[in-house]
Amino acid sequence: MKTITTAHTPQTVLDLDLMPPSRSPWSETWRLLRKNRMAFSGLVIFAIFFIIAVAGMLLTSGRKPVLDPAQVRLQEKLRPPMSVPIPETVVSGTAPILGRYLLGTDDLGRDVFARMLQGAWVSLTVGFVAVGISVLIGIVLGGLAGYFGQRAIRVGHILSWSLVVAAPILALAAKPLAALLAAAGALAGWAFYAWRRRRRGEPTPVLLRWLSWTAIGVDDLVMRAVDIMLCFPSFFLILTVVALLPPSLYTIMIVIGLTSWMGTTRLVRAEFLSLREQDFVAAARALGLSDLHIIFRHIMPNALAPVLVSATLGIASAMLTEAGLSFLGFGVPPPHATWGNILSDGKDFIFDAPWLTFAPGIVILIVLLAFNLFGEGLRDILNPKLRERN
Amino acid sequence: MIAFFGRSVVQKSITLFFVSVVSFLVIHLAPGQPSQIDPLNPKFTREVVERMRQQFHLDKPLHIQYLLFYRDLFTGKTVSWKDSRPVLGKIYERFLNSLPLFILGTLLTWTFSFPMGIRAAIQRNGPFDKSTTFLSYVLISVPGFFFAYVLIILVVTHLNVPVIDMQTFGVTSDSVMVLFMDRVWHLVLPSILGATGGIAVLSRYVRGQMLEIIGMDYVRTARAKGLSYDGVYYRHALRNALLPFVTMFGLMLPGLIGGSVIIESIFGWPGMGRMAYEAILARDYPVILTLNFITGVLVLAGTFISDLLYMVVDPRIRL
Repeated sequence: MKTITTAHTPQTVLDLDLMPPSRSPWSETWRLLRKNRMAFSGLVIFAIFFIIAVAGMLLTSGRKPVLDPAQVRLQEKLRPPMSVPIPETVVSGTAPILGRYLLGTDDLGRDVFARMLQGAWVSLTVGFVAVGISVLIGIVLGGLAGYFGQRAIRVGHILSWSLVVAAPILALAAKPLAALLAAAGALAGWAFYAWRRRRRGEPTPVLLRWLSWTAIGVDDLVMRAVDIMLCFPSFFLILTVVALLPPSLYTIMIVIGLTSWMGTTRLVRAEFLSLREQDFVAAARALGLSDLHIIFRHIMPNALAPVLVSATLGIASAMLTEAGLSFLGFGVPPPHATWGNILSDGKDFIFDAPWLTFAPGIVILIVLLAFNLFGEGLRDILNPKLRERN
Repeated sequence: MIAFFGRSVVQKSITLFFVSVVSFLVIHLAPGQPSQIDPLNPKFTREVVERMRQQFHLDKPLHIQYLLFYRDLFTGKTVSWKDSRPVLGKIYERFLNSLPLFILGTLLTWTFSFPMGIRAAIQRNGPFDKSTTFLSYVLISVPGFFFAYVLIILVVTHLNVPVIDMQTFGVTSDSVMVLFMDRVWHLVLPSILGATGGIAVLSRYVRGQMLEIIGMDYVRTARAKGLSYDGVYYRHALRNALLPFVTMFGLMLPGLIGGSVIIESIFGWPGMGRMAYEAILARDYPVILTLNFITGVLVLAGTFISDLLYMVVDPRIRL
C-alpha cells in the first residue's frame, strides 16, 4: 500500500488506494457519455451520418459519379424501393448500385438513394457552416460585451469608424471628393487618438472635448443589437432574405448563420461576466498578461462548455431550417438534391409513391433526433451540479 | 415603477426604430427591383414601370422612401403593391383566419404539457418520465412538413375526411352542424401540428421547474409533517413551480401574428404565415415591412408585459 507520510507525524495522511482514480476532464466526459445511453446513441448516429455524408459527397460528385443523382430514366419513374430496373431500358453504365433502386425512384426516374446521399452532404455543410458562423459571431460579440463591457464607446470613436466605413463606400459610388474627405477625417481621428495616447493625463482642449463624451457602453451596444435581432421573426426573416437574393447554398448558410447568433452571444457574455471576477483571472492580470492572452488562454476554455451544447442543438435547428426552405422551393437550386426538396417534389405523389415523402422525412427525423439527444446529454454531462457521484 | 415604465418605453422605442431601419434596408438593398418582377409580361411597358416607380416612390432616395413609408404606415394609408388594397385591412382579414388556429394550438399545448411535465417530475426516472422525455425529443426533431403529410395520409385514407383549406370546397348543407363539423375537421390537423413543438418544449420546462421545487426544503418539511403526496405536490410545490409560466402569457403575444409559413402553405390555410409567404414571392414590400414592424411591436410589448406580470406574481422582484 502506497502512503504519503509526513516526517513529523508518522500517521497516514492520504491513502492513494482509497482515493478515486484521477482522470483527465476528457476521459471523465467520455466515461459519463458512455453511461448516458440516449446521448451516446445520438453520438453514434451522428458519426454514422457524418461518414455517410462524406461518402455520399464522394460517390455523387465528379464528372462520372458512381451514383448519379441527376440521371433521368423516364421509363423507370416512381418505382418502389428495392425494385430491380427493367433490363431492356437501362442504358449501360447508368444502372443503380447493387442492381436495385434501394429507395425507389422519383417522378423523373432518378435514383432516390443517390439523391438522398447528395442531400446528406448539403444538410451536413449547412448545419456546420451556419452554426460555425453564428458561434464565431457569438463568441466575438459575447466576449467583447462580457470582458470589455464597462468600457465606453465615445463620440469620437463612432465618428472616426463611420468615416472609415464611409470612405470605401463613397469611393465605390464614384464620389472621389467625398471619399477623400471621409478618408482625411478618419485619418484625423486616428491622429487625434494617437496624440491622446502619447500625452495621457493632459486635459483635452475645450474645443475637442465633445469627442470624448460617452455615447454608449460596449455591453449596452452588443445587448441592444441582440434585442433588435430578437425582434425579427427568424424564419420569416431568413425566408425574405433568401427569396430576395440569388439562390445558392452559400447564401443559405450565411443567412442562417447571421440570424442565429443571439443565443450564443448571451451565453458567452454571461460566462465571461462571471469568470472575469474569478481569482485565476485576477492572478493572470497581476502577472501582466495581455487581454488577448487572458481571454483566449484562460477565460475561453472555461466558457466553452455551454457554447458547445448550444452549437450542437443549433446544428439541428439549422438543418431543419434548410430543409424547410428547400421544401418551400427556396435554397439550393433544383438539379441539386436536398432532403427538403426531395420531400417537396414527392408531395404530389404522397398516395402513389409514399417513399418519396417517408425516406427524406424519416432520415431528417433520425438525424435531428441524434443531434438533440446528444446536445441535451452533453448539457447534463458538462454540468457539474447535475453530476452524480461515480 | 414609473421610472421603470418610462425607461422601458424609451428603450423599446429606440429598439423599434432600429428594427424598422434594419428591415427596410434588408429589403431595399437586396438585388432586383419590384418593378422588374416579370420582365416577360408584355403589359409591363417602359411607361407602366415608370409610372409604378413614381406611384410607389421608388424613384426617390432611400431615406425619403423610408420616411414616406412609415408616415403612410402610421396614418394607415399603406397599400399593397399587388392589389392596391390597404395593408392593415388585409392583415386584419388574415389575422382573423389565423386566430382560431392560434387559440386551439395554444389550448392544446397548455392542456397537454402541464399534466405531462408534472407527472414526469413526480415519477422522476420512472417509465413515464423516460418515455415522455424520448417522446418530447421526437416531437422537437420531427420536421413539421413531414409530420403534416403523415397525418394527412392517415386522416384522409382512414377517416375519409378532407382537410385542405378552411372548409371543404363547395360544401353546402342546411344543417349548421355539418358546416360546423366541417370547419372543426379542417382546423384540427393544423392546430395539432402547431402544438407539437410547443408541447414538447413546454412539458420539459414544466418538468424542470417542478423538479427544482420538489427538491426544496419546505417540500420536504411538508412531507415530514405527514401530508399526503397529493397535498404536497399540488398545493405546495405546483403553485411555486407555476410562477415562471405566468410570464409566458406575455411571450405568447408575438405568436398571434406569427402563423407558421410551412404548415399554412401545406394546408392551404389563408392565414398570416401564408400571406407573408405570398408577399415575399410577389415582392410586396409594404406587406412584408408592415408584418415585420407589427411583429417587432408585439415582441417588445410581450417582454414588457411579462416583466410586469413577473413583478406582480413575485414580490421579491422589484424593478
